[in-house]
Amino acid sequence: MKAQNKLVLTFSLFLSIVRLTAQEQVTIGGYVRDESNGEALIGATVYVNEISNGTITNVYGYYAITLPKGEYSISYRYVGYETKHHSVDLQSNSQLDMELSMISEQLEAVVVSSKAEDANVSTTEMSTVSLDIQSIKSMPAFAGEVDVIKSIQMLPGVTSVGEGAPGFNVRGGTVGQNLVLLDEAPVYQSSHMFGFFSVFNPDAVKDVKLYKGGIPAKYGGRLSSVLDIRMKEGNNKRYEVNGGIGTVFSRLSVEGPLKKDKASFILAARRSYADVFAKALTDMLEDGGLYFYDLTAKVNLNINERNRVFASGYWGRDVFDFGETTGFDWGNRTATLRWNNLISQNLFSNYSLYYSLYDYGFSFGDSRDSFDWKSSIETFNFKPEYAWSINPTNELTFGGEAILYGFEPAVAEVVNGGVTTEIDLGEKRALEASVYASNSQDFGSKLSVEYGMRWSHFMRLGGYRYHYGDTLTGIEKPLLEIQKVVDGKASDYTNNIEPRFIVKYQLNTSSSVKASYNRTIQYLHQISNTNVSTPTDIWYPSNNNVLPQKGQQVALGYFKNIDGIAWEASLEGYFKWTSNQVDYIDGADLFVNEYLDAQLLSGIGRSLGLEFYLRKNTGRLTGWVSYTLGKSEIKVDGINYGSDLVSRSGKWYATSFDQRHNLKVAVFYDFSDKYSLSTNFSFMSGTPATFPTDRMTVNGYVIPYIKGGSRNNFRAPDYHRLDLSVTIKQLGKPNKKKSINDQLVVSIYNVYARENPFSIYFSQGTDRQGTTNVETTAKQMSMLGTLIPAISYNFKF
Amino acid sequence: MKKFIHLTLLVCLMACESTIYPELDAPAEIIIVDAWLQHDQSDQFIHITKSQGYFDQTEPEMISGAEVMIKDLTSNKQYIFQELDKGYVFPNDSVFGEIGHDYLLTVQVEGEHFEARAHLGAVPPVDSVVFSYNPEDYNILSEYFSAEFYAQDLLGAGDTYWIKAWKNGILLNKPSEINIAYDAGFGAGQEVDGVVFHKTIRRDYINPLVEREDRANYYLPPYDIGDSVYVEIHSIDPAAYDYLSAVKTQTDRPGGFSELFAVPLANVSTNIHSVDPNSNTAVAGFFNVSAVTGGGKKLTAEEANNLSNH
Repeated sequence: MKAQNKLVLTFSLFLSIVRLTAQEQVTIGGYVRDESNGEALIGATVYVNEISNGTITNVYGYYAITLPKGEYSISYRYVGYETKHHSVDLQSNSQLDMELSMISEQLEAVVVSSKAEDANVSTTEMSTVSLDIQSIKSMPAFAGEVDVIKSIQMLPGVTSVGEGAPGFNVRGGTVGQNLVLLDEAPVYQSSHMFGFFSVFNPDAVKDVKLYKGGIPAKYGGRLSSVLDIRMKEGNNKRYEVNGGIGTVFSRLSVEGPLKKDKASFILAARRSYADVFAKALTDMLEDGGLYFYDLTAKVNLNINERNRVFASGYWGRDVFDFGETTGFDWGNRTATLRWNNLISQNLFSNYSLYYSLYDYGFSFGDSRDSFDWKSSIETFNFKPEYAWSINPTNELTFGGEAILYGFEPAVAEVVNGGVTTEIDLGEKRALEASVYASNSQDFGSKLSVEYGMRWSHFMRLGGYRYHYGDTLTGIEKPLLEIQKVVDGKASDYTNNIEPRFIVKYQLNTSSSVKASYNRTIQYLHQISNTNVSTPTDIWYPSNNNVLPQKGQQVALGYFKNIDGIAWEASLEGYFKWTSNQVDYIDGADLFVNEYLDAQLLSGIGRSLGLEFYLRKNTGRLTGWVSYTLGKSEIKVDGINYGSDLVSRSGKWYATSFDQRHNLKVAVFYDFSDKYSLSTNFSFMSGTPATFPTDRMTVNGYVIPYIKGGSRNNFRAPDYHRLDLSVTIKQLGKPNKKKSINDQLVVSIYNVYARENPFSIYFSQGTDRQGTTNVETTAKQMSMLGTLIPAISYNFKF
Repeated sequence: MKKFIHLTLLVCLMACESTIYPELDAPAEIIIVDAWLQHDQSDQFIHITKSQGYFDQTEPEMISGAEVMIKDLTSNKQYIFQELDKGYVFPNDSVFGEIGHDYLLTVQVEGEHFEARAHLGAVPPVDSVVFSYNPEDYNILSEYFSAEFYAQDLLGAGDTYWIKAWKNGILLNKPSEINIAYDAGFGAGQEVDGVVFHKTIRRDYINPLVEREDRANYYLPPYDIGDSVYVEIHSIDPAAYDYLSAVKTQTDRPGGFSELFAVPLANVSTNIHSVDPNSNTAVAGFFNVSAVTGGGKKLTAEEANNLSNH
């Protein structure tokens, strides 16, 4: 009933907007691009002086403003680019594309994130962070390898449990609750070599935007955040080669016009070469290999003013082989086809068709005795989206999404003494469909509201349904019945509405307050009971036993620019509450287990926090300070129930990525055109861990025991680290004909060599123990307990 | 799998570890029932102790005054245990119990009444124990001999076993050497029934790896000429399989990069429960009755010679 009321309200608002359009209004729209290479500028400001209002370009660089007929003066602005002014006598719908040129070298180095100059204050977006690739490339990186995922961890509300842990946590959410999109296709594993490097080649990335809250209605499917990564389109004016030789990777990318100003391509590849060195040092890799690579490619074609198509793909893989039959590997593959179609100047449409496959496996043994396991998740997706600039005060976006999933939790072949046993847990198919509409509306010059609704629907297709009986909470549930569903027949339908709402009130030209609410639903679950997420975690659909995760978030923020846009500051508070969070019974066996559901538990979560961000955008010295005060907790019946052995009702406990304080400082200093210095400092409160209270001796083994089964009852020591890097530009003498831009980056990770804890574990002594007086110890493990220098050479011509 | 990851990452990076001395919460000192009985043995022991502070390395003290009894639920025969200095004992001069029967353990101690059930399952014979010759590899930097046993899982899904091995009479008792089998494979959800045990079970855990003192991450050969190996297969209750699997997870912590795949510390399961459904008294430990088969071999100079010349 509630839901219906909301729908009626939305519909009536929509009608009131349409009525407004009855006036004589026309639309001006077009693409804003970089003059030097034709790349679309995402988030450029298009400002109409007469109405003191404007818009920003979308992810394809398109803008549209609907105005009453008349003469207007329009400014096109983008940070780091010369502002262009244009006068137009607007009598009918017209298209005006604009190319902006970068301002001089020296100012180019200015580090800025907010594309529209005062977007942080003026737009109805909040709880978002965006980093342009220039900033990402300027940061000192582990092993000197520029890293998209590590860079966003320098921003408020984003944390990680430490080096080597894949993924990132947003506002107290799990790694699996982030939707990572590369040119709209979901990427299920964003890390190479566990969590040490991310899978995105910086040479092919144009723009990175993270939504931590106030998530627009067009995104759905994950609880915590959306990381939207857009690939470069490729220079459509001239050929360009970028490359680099680093300590871990070698990179090379080529881009250029297929037809000048009409069509272009980019092809970028990276490969690690640790194996080359390792082979020289050890013979253990003789028959195998240990490497990771990724290949990114994209082509685009401007068919005409109204139509443009893009095709992009990504192929990455990590391979760890020790001989012919022993090893493991994982990788993502994505392919995206997109068609931008301007139905009219004020109605922009995009149709995306994409495919994503994440597969992983491991094997060991020889021909007579082996174990070979594979798992995958496959996604086919169709996503139409529309943006309609109705009038100067309303912009409506609407669209839908249909996702067909294929989950392969495990296919294993076990050979015992030459006898083969095939184990196939069966492909699980599911369909997720959604439609959404969202309107951005101005009420006067101060108040803007973006309100939208997403309706999502999920169903399983075919497969088996498992029915389990009740038992003591927290113990494996007994299997009652397995029910076969006819192939292709739908079961376990679920519908959800996901309202999204943001309001902005402009206090004055330099400050605003914003508030948001969003509800998000997640139908897929990343199943893992390890301390940190791993590349072999299983992706699993909702079913009759595992319900969709549901989350709600409210956020309130104050945004302020100081001295023009020289400084920007923000303060945001958030509160999130979630349900159907997946957890695991003690001793859960998740690996190749047909009866997985019996090992899963469901709980509720809550997290709250305060995020502070101060950034200096101009001058030789730039950078930012980000601080988050946060708390993230979960409550699951059957876990952490203390002394209440009868009801076993869970008590709240801190999640394993809960960090009270999280301080990040990034400073960039340009000494001259040739030399620049950048430095990062990170401080994070110790994450919780479970420590034992007792030891018990059974059967000669000394086994830890935790009083009351407490989870995360202790905290690891705090994490802090300083990184430095120096960049020297233009090493070689510029050639007369072709100018080669090159640079040498020398970096030191963990300058003062702190042994930051990755984990603390308790065990018997490693020596063979007698039957009496068995030794027990606690050990703290640091993943990178020393300083790590690195040098890399980058070039561009 | 852990092994591969461990090796993989050692090549690329170096992790470091240090021993720490955290101040833990006060121990719960709960009652522990350690009741692992063997069909093939005469005297049967049950230990009833209390858990102690995690870093307390003294012998756990026995709780005296308990009434301990086992009842054969199939034949109704009762076994009353007597208290001795080293535990509760049932003196016996032949085998204990009968294969295929179910047993109920009852313990009355400190005003509490606990019980546990276990099934004494059948066990296949150890068909043979052999040595084989191996060229040097990435673990062991010389030619070496390794041991392997052959045995076939009994027909029918759900047989569970614990394989124990002794090198020169010393039990391989490290947590990393816990070797359990679910039918011929590695778990309930992956049925591999009625065939010879997987090579990982036949071989990996009965060859002890001792790190070389002169070279980290490399190991001494597991067996040399003159060494002997003895292998026993113990049938265990399926609940004991889950229990031992959890014991292995919680106690086998090699550290280093395998921590990337470590699971959080949690209490292992128990089949000891209070008979009072409203009791809040915590208890831990395990009751199991095993049937046992065994076989062994000594590596003679002659055999070693034959193997290396093959």
